[in-house]
Amino acid sequence: MTPVGAVATIGRLCRITRVTWLSELLEPGRMVSTAIQVGSQVFLTACLWTALYAHTEVSAGLQEHQAVGYAVLAVLASRLRPLSRDMAPDSFYRHMREGTILYWFLRPLPPHRYHLVRALGDQAHGLLWVLAGYGLCTTAGVVPLPDGRWTLPAFLVSMFLGQVIVYQLSLILDLLCFWTVANSNALHVSHFVQSLLSGAFAPLWFFPGWFTTANSFLPFQSTLHIPLSIYVGRIPVNRVPREVAVQAVWCLLLWLITRTLWKRAESRVAVQGG
Amino acid sequence: MAGGTALRRSVYRLRLSWKLTSLNVRARLEYRVEFALGILAGILWQASVMVFATVLISRFPGLGGWSSGGVLLIASIRLLSHAVYGVLFANVNRLHAIVQEGKLEAFLLRPLPVYRQVVLHQFHINTFGDLAVAVTLFSLALRRLALEWTPFKIVFLCAAVVGGALIEAAVQTALSCAALRSPTATADWTGWLDHTLSTFGNYPLAILPGAVSGLLTFVLPVAFIAYLPAAVLTGTYEGTLVPREIALASPCAGVVLFLAARRLWNWNMRRYEGIGG
Amino acid sequence: MNSKSVPVIAERLTKTFRVAHRSAGFMGGVRAIFRPTWEYKPVVRGVSLSVQPGELVALLGPNGAGKSTTIKMLTGIVAPTTGSVRLCGLDPHRNREENARNIGAVFGQRSQLWWDLPARDSLVMLRDIFEVPAGEYRERLRQFDDMLELSRFWDTRVRHLSLGQRVRCDLAAALLHDPAVLFLDEPTIGMDVLVKEQVREFLRHQVAEDGKAVLLTTHDMKEVEHLAERIILINDGEEMFEGGVAALRSRFGATWKVHVTLSDAVGHPRLAHARIVAREGARVTFGPRPEASAPLGHALKEIINAYPVSDVSTEEDSLEDIMRTYLGGAAAARQSASGGSRMAAR
Repeated sequence: MTPVGAVATIGRLCRITRVTWLSELLEPGRMVSTAIQVGSQVFLTACLWTALYAHTEVSAGLQEHQAVGYAVLAVLASRLRPLSRDMAPDSFYRHMREGTILYWFLRPLPPHRYHLVRALGDQAHGLLWVLAGYGLCTTAGVVPLPDGRWTLPAFLVSMFLGQVIVYQLSLILDLLCFWTVANSNALHVSHFVQSLLSGAFAPLWFFPGWFTTANSFLPFQSTLHIPLSIYVGRIPVNRVPREVAVQAVWCLLLWLITRTLWKRAESRVAVQGG
Repeated sequence: MAGGTALRRSVYRLRLSWKLTSLNVRARLEYRVEFALGILAGILWQASVMVFATVLISRFPGLGGWSSGGVLLIASIRLLSHAVYGVLFANVNRLHAIVQEGKLEAFLLRPLPVYRQVVLHQFHINTFGDLAVAVTLFSLALRRLALEWTPFKIVFLCAAVVGGALIEAAVQTALSCAALRSPTATADWTGWLDHTLSTFGNYPLAILPGAVSGLLTFVLPVAFIAYLPAAVLTGTYEGTLVPREIALASPCAGVVLFLAARRLWNWNMRRYEGIGG
Repeated sequence: MNSKSVPVIAERLTKTFRVAHRSAGFMGGVRAIFRPTWEYKPVVRGVSLSVQPGELVALLGPNGAGKSTTIKMLTGIVAPTTGSVRLCGLDPHRNREENARNIGAVFGQRSQLWWDLPARDSLVMLRDIFEVPAGEYRERLRQFDDMLELSRFWDTRVRHLSLGQRVRCDLAAALLHDPAVLFLDEPTIGMDVLVKEQVREFLRHQVAEDGKAVLLTTHDMKEVEHLAERIILINDGEEMFEGGVAALRSRFGATWKVHVTLSDAVGHPRLAHARIVAREGARVTFGPRPEASAPLGHALKEIINAYPVSDVSTEEDSLEDIMRTYLGGAAAARQSASGGSRMAAR
């Protein structure tokens, strides 16, 4: 690809990512309700955990500010990939149901790249909300600032890998649409499972030993639990390389799975035709 | 004579509601996998409360002056009333979808009250899941609380569950009035309302700052759903913003609010303008 | 006149919608929340109509003319801003529940049947909702089956039915409780020819034998020609025309031609209703006299009586041609007028 072509492609990709932004921006009502929803959830979470720690110093290795920080950040992070996209008219699921998925394979942009670009747009849009929320929460003292020199960089690396894994998991779920008649209830079930196993409902440190052991064989805790634990300092800096390595292995494994599934999907579309 | 006709009409209405509901259930059973998953999804949706409750019980002595058993009681009363709401009124918050699909106009052409048709138009299998979780939590709460169950308390509990369902129905009905005019905007707020009621309704409001807890008692009557009835049952009144007498009247609040909401709804329904061209 | 004897009677109906004005873009949305401005859109401006029992009236007009809104006012879904509606003596909006038993409606695009169940289950449910006695129900269903062949597909789930099958079931559903008035909104749109004919025959039966009052909106001019006794033309919320098909033709200057082949060369008697437009040997073409536009039937009789005719064929402006000319003219007139006068009311 020539430099000119590369710039043009990037420009095109940027414009594609804008789609989600624009539709959200044009609805101030929706933004207000989103802000209120996130705000109230963060508020309740903070109050809840503060009240729980009223008579306790340390529990499951977490101090109060660590637990509150973890829980609030988990709420914010769940905005990065909101479920609401499933209800949007151009979600993958809808495309499958109505057959318009065919157009993805007819465009000059390969379908997996298109999917990735749209997802980046969504995630970037969610990121704005997260950053705004983060700014507010740290100012209010609800979320502690990271201490130690290496905490923040380690957190950023871990978070990035975690988001890659999130994308890959949702991609696998989307791709399964090619083989099953997926429905919204299945999506709800999977959403719950993911939230539970990644620590979004309650920090995983509080769960019984057998649960956490079993969970360590699954990729879900790499999405949220590891990065947040690094951030609040529950995972000391010397153990970070090991955890990040585990995340990287999951990334690789999931990437292999998604590649195979895409290939199978393409051949299936070719067979089934219009 | 008049009494006999009134009785016959009520029986007829009940039978019709039953027939409509069984028709809708049969329609749902057409998609068997989705049906089963729906029940599962309902259980899991509420089970997030269970998760938190488990954490709470195992690791912490209590919350905001309430023992862990007390918190479980609040959560289970809330879930029980939500399950009753789910059986009787749940479709009220789907009004925006009904309007957008044009179904409301079909309802207007039938000799039945529109509110009843809206409420009966779908059956939510999730409700069974809600009920299962609610009963589980309630039994957990009972085991941890050493409560003496007087007949008064049992009656009050039942009334509170029904009252809580009526409050939730009242709030959702009032919001759904907006769906008659701007269905798309209402869809977002309906989700938010649902979410707020289920998150804030499960916990003792004493953990929130006074201003917020006041909002959730006097503006959005969340406190009357489960928190205040649980306060009456356990005798824990610190942190509630209302005196004991008013807490005792929580079920009445449900009835009053529901009637007011229905009035508002009927008023708005008369001014319905229709959709599209 | 006893209003109960006229199933549908509406007087000077108007409907004005108040719409929130919202300019495009984000700032427009914000402004709309904090300082809303309202626009008043008059959609119906004074429509009066009546439908007698045993009569089928067609409501015509371009899209956006206010036809659907008028129907909504007649069925009681929407209350008129001013004017009055009486359906079988009742105000359909105020006495909605009671009046629902007098109305049957089929909206072509939307079905009132339960989507996931066989059509027959929907009919049974509606029987219970409308409290139709079992004997009447069975009898009526048998009748509908005779005319619409419902039993072929009434055990299929509604979502698997073709459009023609679904609308036929909707018709049965609408007439199950024997209403006095039937409203049809584009019922045969998208149907194939055979089914269309079946439905038309069915409607003719309902009007002629059962004495129902039927109000039909459609864009299908052939349907209007076949079924309607009276036509009401609505444009821009106002009533432009009311009368029979023949009156519509003569009002909008429709012409006809009669082509005859003479079996004998004769002189040319002067005809009252027609004049010779062209002739080519034994083939003569007649047209209407410009001074007095006579209906085709009269002219044809006169020609056949006056001339020895061995072959005759007629040609008539179809309703579609008439509508096209009328609508085209109206659009042009509106364009030239929109320069000065029309501004949105504040």
